[in-house]
Amino acid sequence: MRGVELKRHGKATRLALARPLHSFPHVLPDDCNTPAPDLPVQAGNIFEDAMSLTRRIMLRTAGAALGGALAFASASAFAQGAGTIKVGILHSLSGTMAISETTLKDVMLMLIEEQNKKGGLLGKKLEPVVVDPASNWPLFAEKARELISKDKVSATFGCWTSVSRKSVLPVFEELNSILFYPVQYEGEESSKNIFYTGAAPNQQAIPAVDYLMETEKVQRWVLAGTDYVYPRTTNKILEAYLKSKGVKQEDIMINYTPFGHSDWQTIVADIKKFGSAGKKTAVVSTINGDANVPFYKELGNAGVKATDIPVVAFSVGEEELAGIDTKPLVGHLAAWNYFQSVDNADNKAFIEKWKAFTKNPKRVTNDPMEAHVIGFNMWVKAVEKAGTTDTEAVLDAMIGVSVPNLTGGYSTMMPNHHITKPVLIGEVQADGQFNTVWQTSGLVVGDEWSDYLEGSKDLISDWRKPLSCGNFNVKTGKCGGATK
Amino acid sequence: MMETRKPLLLSLIDTRGGIFLGLIAAATILVPVLALMVPANSAFALPPYLVALFGKYICYALLAIALDLVWGYCGILSLGHGAFFALGGYAMGMYLMRQIGTRGVYAHPELPDFMVFLNMKELPITWWGFQSFPYAMLMVLLIPGLLAFIFGFLAFRSRVTGVYLSIITQAMTYALLLAFFRNDMGFGGNNGLTDFKDILGFNVQAKETRVALFVASCIALGAGYLIARAVTESKFGKVVIAIRDAESRTRFLGYRVETYKLAVFVLSAMMAGVAGALYVPQVGIINPGEFAPANSIEAVIWVAVGGRGTLVGAALGAIIVNWGKTFFTGALPEYWLFALGALFVLVTLFLPKGVVGVIDQYKARRAATHKGGTAAAPAAE
Amino acid sequence: MNQLPRLRAPRARALPLPANGAKGLVEIFSFATAAFVLLLLALFVAPQARAQGESTIIIGLSSDKFPETERALNDLPGSGLATAPQIVDALAANRLYFNGPARKLYFADEAGKMFDAATGEPADVMASALKKVRINNAVRRSLDAARGALTLMSPDPAKRKAAADSVFKSRDASALPLVEAALEKETISANKKILEEARAAIIASDSGAPEVRRLEAVEVLKSRGDQDAVSVLTTIASWSEGRVKAAAESASSVIQAKLALWRNVQNIWYGLSLGSVLLLAAIGLAITFGVMGIINMAHGEMVMLGAYTTFAVQEWARTSHPGLLNYSLFIAIPLAFLVTAAVGILIERVVIRFLYGRPLETLLATFGISLILQQAVRTIFGANNREVSAPSFMAGSFDFGSLQIGYGRMWIIVFALAVFFALQFVLRATSFGLRMRAVTQNRRMASSMGIDTNRIDALAFGLGSGIAGMAGVALSQIDNVSPNLGQSYIIDSFMVVVFGGVGNLWGTLLGALTLGVANKFLEPIAGAVLGKILLLVFIILFIQKRPRGLFALKGRAVEA
Repeated sequence: MRGVELKRHGKATRLALARPLHSFPHVLPDDCNTPAPDLPVQAGNIFEDAMSLTRRIMLRTAGAALGGALAFASASAFAQGAGTIKVGILHSLSGTMAISETTLKDVMLMLIEEQNKKGGLLGKKLEPVVVDPASNWPLFAEKARELISKDKVSATFGCWTSVSRKSVLPVFEELNSILFYPVQYEGEESSKNIFYTGAAPNQQAIPAVDYLMETEKVQRWVLAGTDYVYPRTTNKILEAYLKSKGVKQEDIMINYTPFGHSDWQTIVADIKKFGSAGKKTAVVSTINGDANVPFYKELGNAGVKATDIPVVAFSVGEEELAGIDTKPLVGHLAAWNYFQSVDNADNKAFIEKWKAFTKNPKRVTNDPMEAHVIGFNMWVKAVEKAGTTDTEAVLDAMIGVSVPNLTGGYSTMMPNHHITKPVLIGEVQADGQFNTVWQTSGLVVGDEWSDYLEGSKDLISDWRKPLSCGNFNVKTGKCGGATK
Repeated sequence: MMETRKPLLLSLIDTRGGIFLGLIAAATILVPVLALMVPANSAFALPPYLVALFGKYICYALLAIALDLVWGYCGILSLGHGAFFALGGYAMGMYLMRQIGTRGVYAHPELPDFMVFLNMKELPITWWGFQSFPYAMLMVLLIPGLLAFIFGFLAFRSRVTGVYLSIITQAMTYALLLAFFRNDMGFGGNNGLTDFKDILGFNVQAKETRVALFVASCIALGAGYLIARAVTESKFGKVVIAIRDAESRTRFLGYRVETYKLAVFVLSAMMAGVAGALYVPQVGIINPGEFAPANSIEAVIWVAVGGRGTLVGAALGAIIVNWGKTFFTGALPEYWLFALGALFVLVTLFLPKGVVGVIDQYKARRAATHKGGTAAAPAAE
Repeated sequence: MNQLPRLRAPRARALPLPANGAKGLVEIFSFATAAFVLLLLALFVAPQARAQGESTIIIGLSSDKFPETERALNDLPGSGLATAPQIVDALAANRLYFNGPARKLYFADEAGKMFDAATGEPADVMASALKKVRINNAVRRSLDAARGALTLMSPDPAKRKAAADSVFKSRDASALPLVEAALEKETISANKKILEEARAAIIASDSGAPEVRRLEAVEVLKSRGDQDAVSVLTTIASWSEGRVKAAAESASSVIQAKLALWRNVQNIWYGLSLGSVLLLAAIGLAITFGVMGIINMAHGEMVMLGAYTTFAVQEWARTSHPGLLNYSLFIAIPLAFLVTAAVGILIERVVIRFLYGRPLETLLATFGISLILQQAVRTIFGANNREVSAPSFMAGSFDFGSLQIGYGRMWIIVFALAVFFALQFVLRATSFGLRMRAVTQNRRMASSMGIDTNRIDALAFGLGSGIAGMAGVALSQIDNVSPNLGQSYIIDSFMVVVFGGVGNLWGTLLGALTLGVANKFLEPIAGAVLGKILLLVFIILFIQKRPRGLFALKGRAVEA
């Protein structure tokens, strides 16, 4: 792609893309209110450049033409290479994570089918290879190895939990293959072979807290999470962030629960008690999937209303809400980079296709699905650009690739293997959907090494040659770690 | 036990054991040859991922033999053997984590990544010494052994038996599962220990290291089998079998039943620990999921499928079930649980003595006279 | 009452988000001044102001900006707009529409018929051509306050109570005259009390009110004595001075001391509630495992099937008989029993009957069955959670002293006990129960006495499974309805049965309640995770002390 130039400003990475050709449209709808344009969303991580609509359309056409030309060129070049390009799908279809991951397998199958209808990739058909790692972390590593070594897949889309990603990471690095990881996660990682299409903490948690602080005037915070790495890290970052905003220690309550915790009576009562200290209180929930339904049911039973103590969640999307009667929960919040309710033509078309593909008019879409859509389209584009599915060539071609997301803007792959996304905050509606009440004015770049954590504030990641480093220390000027 | 060494060793190896050990020996020789010496493009070449996969099966087989020793010969149905396996794995994992040194993402010379990440300032006391391989290996044996000793000492002394014992072993592994999930424990929480680099100075991802680990696993399996045979064939073993078949009667005969049970239980836990320790570098991760009660139940099922109280059967069962799992999760990702579930039901209904039991029956029918000599199949409980 | 002329200074928190502090202050100041001027205007030239108010409200609500909507809502009760109640109801129900460019506002009634909000006349517009007025939490709060003010004199006592509650929460000074007016007319003493408390909350929070009145108000709040009162009092204490501050502080500490005592009662209640869930989950297992000796790993899946039966019944009611939805649980309970009992009998006939006397092998077979059932449900219903709604009689809560008791939890306890005693009745007082006990105590003897042991086995397993299914109906109300539902209860169920003593139903009851209460007392001290670990360690140690559980069976049957 075009000249992508890396400026270093303190530790923040700012990507200055050559202005005339590729810039980023503001994704702010005209009617959106309280956008708080000066909201300090990770200074240095926003693309401030706005762009006129006409320019955007022109660009889109130009991009399509370019892409088409490239595809044509490569198609003719590789037309002789018969056979298929294999794509691995590594999502649990049984066990505890099947609840969330099965949907992602289906969305991948749909995307591949669609791509094949458009003529495949490089003149070949795509062939999905589905395996079931059964929510068993060592099995993830085994299946990843099998996909790469035995099935010779060109890229893999998969994983949900951090531990499954940690389990397969050495495999992908050893065998030099590509993984697209579609779920919001704790950051603190950057691998040459993994593209993180979900949100990093700065693309979800911090904007949500800002929103609550400014719009809801929240002064007292309950950080409730399941006891594992994602909530621990997110809460650590949030705690540091809140303190930097002048919140006192006694106004922060942190609570961890085990996986699948189902009896929330005590904790909900504690939250109510904590919330009656005369200061506006909110709950920031990093409670993991399974435990959410009983948590929200208990909130509803205990009469904790969003107007009294709002709960903002980072792991509750449309899929999770589909299992709950949301009437008592109206107004509770979630922060994501996509909601099914986002009103634009691309999203509508996607939802229609999804409902038709699953033959279920009630199926919902959610944020990790969008992440897979973005990741898949980026991969297709990068392969077309590279003219081959060879890992090294695709890794090079991926950085800077920009594709439309489903919220009306473009998402770009950054040199740190994270993507740019808008941050949306939505309120739960009675029909199980979210109503967007706030949105960042631009796109936010995923920050893999949090600025708020001691160990990682000096680290950056840049996978472009010649640096090619996942943990470059800007203080010591060395690749590899935080200490001197 | 009074005889000289050689005849003792030979007396341990019956026909079935001979075949079994022969197969292990063949694998120990053939796998390195096929994986390292045959050119990669040859039809006989063994791809590296298969080496890791087979290595994993061998570790499971060792766990199954350990379990068979307590269940098949002593009548203790442990639904918590996964805990010993996982503890051994953690001890090895901690050694491997310490070997990463400054190559972690934060390049901290002493603390593993997840500790830096959780703002820990110094190495917790539980991690001291794990940079030394001998110490770590000692812990692989000691920690599961010690847990088994304490648990067994309490339980056997109080004469907790049958389903009560099974359920509290399950409670034990469940409690450990919850404990290791806690990040405050300092063992990496849910993510566990992963991204290992070196073992004894060799890159864990190198093909040669994998083959070496595979060979080590095979040797451990063979040794584990021989130890189990030595125990069960000895006079000590006869008492253990007597306890299985009639505990009260054995006690009335004047044997200290608790001591026998405890000894077997601790030995079995140590074997499980070794299996876990070999498992971890080959799969590249250890996390609290290994403590899940379902994993322990699954290990019991391997033993049942292969044939309880036969040792060889247990190992065979572990390999069959896990190979089936590997195959079906790839071939029938949506339906493999049906296949696995049906396998368990059908085995219990039609092969109550497991695969090895069926072979025995077949043989017994052919040779109308029963020769005996092998370990008696366990009596129905 | 809509005629009451009133305008008021908006509360500071209802203001739009100031872009920066200084500008914000200026804005607040200028806004307050404007409001004050408007207030004067309202007093002297009410009719004109009202007309103006009406149009600003319509404009505000149709501007599609949250702060504008909020402001309009704050002004709505005093605007004298005749359609105010309909507008508020429509907004709450998401049926308020606007036409931005034309500055027109419409509301739809429940049937979807459109009306012009300014006049209340039917309007000839299509909802699809309009945009909905959006709400967020801030708007929702203003909406609640407006609704409260508008419905303080509603003829429906329940609505009046809700209105008084929301005024108590909003403590909106401008609602004071309305509260006073309502107090005069209110006849129901409970409602009167809440209105008095609402009045006290307003007065106590009003820095302009005379100190004596504020002190009186603090006393009223103190007598209310709940968490909400503490919330109001601490807020007052945080900004007041002198005697009021001292009074508010002492009142809140008195209440908190009382609440701390109640917290123990609360823990017992929570413990009983958790215990009843454990009891429900375990009681079926007490039959199949405890009485019949089958280590039934598929027990959790029976619970899951019961929950899915509930889902299926609700789905059927939702699509074809919406009127029955509220009573669907009464259909689901017997149906879940029948479905799971049938599945149980099938499993018993096909698999388990070949395994009697080999309890450890039942473990393997039933584990296999549990895998099959899980995957079957996943294939049929999908891997996602399914929605099971709560009937109206299980929603909400009532106060018992300072303890808030949810109806849902209460009915689950009642249900668990009902199931327990019904089961005791079946086992003790019916001939089937007698035969079943005979078979489990001495199979051969029972058979010699002419009991068809095969039939009794099948029925007993069916009974245990059926009870698990009924438990599933109750659990669907508080937990995920997903293929993994059973997995999360199976270990706890075994712990309860073993702790209580295998083969003894009373042991299961006592075991479940003990573990539930112990858990709830440990949780605040040790945290949820450590609490659970401690409990497991406790069970392990307890079994050392009493190797056969709380209530050990005595006699020959003991030797398994």
